[in-house]
Amino acid sequence: MNNVLAVAKRELKSAFNSPVAYVVILGYLLFTGIYLYFINAFYSLGQADLRAYFSIMPIVLAFLVPALTMRSWAEERRLGTYELLLTLPFSENQLVIGKFLSSFALAAIAIALTIPVPLMASMLGSFDAGVLVAQYTGVLFEAAAAIAIGEWISSLAKNQVSAFLGTVLVLLALVLVDRISSFFGSGGFVASLLNWLSLSYHFDSFSRGVVDSRDLAYYVSALVLFLYLSSWGLNRRKWS
Amino acid sequence: MIELRELKKSYGGVEAVHGVSFTAETGSVLGLLGPNGAGKTTIMKILTGYHFPSSGQALVDGIDVAEDPLAVKRRVGYLPESVPLYQDLSVGEYLDFAADARGLEAPARKAAIERAISSCGLSGVYQKRIEELSKGYKQRTGLAQAILHDPPILILDEPTTGLDPNQIIEIRELIRSLGKSKTVILSTHILQEVEAICNRVIILSEGRVAAQGSPAEIGETLKGEERLRLRLRSPAAFDSSRLSSIPGLRSVASFSSEGPGVFAAELVMPPESSGAPEAGESVFDWAVGQGIKILELERRRLSLEEIFVKLTQEGSQEGDGK
Repeated sequence: MNNVLAVAKRELKSAFNSPVAYVVILGYLLFTGIYLYFINAFYSLGQADLRAYFSIMPIVLAFLVPALTMRSWAEERRLGTYELLLTLPFSENQLVIGKFLSSFALAAIAIALTIPVPLMASMLGSFDAGVLVAQYTGVLFEAAAAIAIGEWISSLAKNQVSAFLGTVLVLLALVLVDRISSFFGSGGFVASLLNWLSLSYHFDSFSRGVVDSRDLAYYVSALVLFLYLSSWGLNRRKWS
Repeated sequence: MIELRELKKSYGGVEAVHGVSFTAETGSVLGLLGPNGAGKTTIMKILTGYHFPSSGQALVDGIDVAEDPLAVKRRVGYLPESVPLYQDLSVGEYLDFAADARGLEAPARKAAIERAISSCGLSGVYQKRIEELSKGYKQRTGLAQAILHDPPILILDEPTTGLDPNQIIEIRELIRSLGKSKTVILSTHILQEVEAICNRVIILSEGRVAAQGSPAEIGETLKGEERLRLRLRSPAAFDSSRLSSIPGLRSVASFSSEGPGVFAAELVMPPESSGAPEAGESVFDWAVGQGIKILELERRRLSLEEIFVKLTQEGSQEGDGK
């Protein structure tokens, strides 16, 4: 556990020593804020409901998460510190989890900084606190799964730019794949498979304020699968 | 202590190391010498658990690197050739990370960091961001990381590149003193470095051991001859034919006149052997007998290039190069 924290602490120090973390978090807050107040026209709707605000989160995270995870392994490879990390007494799992935790902490900070939005809105009308908790739970779980995917792609990518673009593409595909499921007829195998794969399909009930254990299971499985793939890839490299 | 047994490593079908065996004892500094692509870095990467061997064994203090890489990594301090540093951290933050990674806890932690800082001469740049440092300071920061946890095994891939002459002397002194109690393996291209700090040398050529022994032994086997550079002043008339009266002289490689009565020559003499007087001695006695004054007399060392050429030629003649 100390090793995991050592890796995460180093990542966070580097992130906050450079402007990247600040820029990404600020960009996220600006975009979601502009969407809520100008595009969604929250005040003119006259409803004490942030469902629209949360339902765009999967798309927004498809850009936020790659910006957080692109450096992860690709930057280590550029600096040569990859060799340092892999010759320090860390296990592959500790490295992968440490890096995941640091990106997740940054995402959680960005997400936590949106809390003033419902707080201010609650002064205008009565919000259901339970719904808000469900909505934030959903965002955090979806972010965790997306970060695991981003970390894995960064571990395969040659540089930061390709890590960013690759992750954006994969996440957008996973967010939007449920939109095409209706072409295959509702209820069919292909349609339900596409729905099941989709990051945003599993987010729907959260944004309505419902925590469904099947959706949680989906995000947790994706998280574990991609962390495992990263760790497996690191291990395999030693034999090549 | 480090032991390699018939170590082989291939990268995607290309064999970089073809069955290397050697032992490095505790309390010694072993130099790996060889041209680029000879397998020095590959051997170091295997010893630090970065790569696993294709076949054969690498044992560090009796632990097989492929079986328990973590136990090996805990024992080893490693400075890779690329000197990996986190550019956006300060020297202090970087060493702090290394201390975390090594699980160093107070009070030993503070003492370890202070010791590494002072042995590598980093106290002036402790607060500075690594990207602002000169190449020499970056190299020393990397070295401080490697020695931070006082490891019994130290593996240094070209530790003195990028340092100025004063720093080179300091770092060599440091490595020599570390070598008294640890097992140190270092790679280098620089022959003087080997002579200055290594107890043993292994010369690698194309992934095989081309020669091994103490620096003196290796120099011995390579020297088929001794070359001396001589400058002299002669009161009487002088020409190159008078040099032939030097006892044991094999030939005169060059001869020139540098001014009135001053001459320079390069002499080829037989190699040193016990019993016979040293080449320089014979020349001195000859000069005294002839009434000639020696202005300079210098033994010309074989350059590393010459050693490489000789060894790779001998290696290919012997076939397996052992």
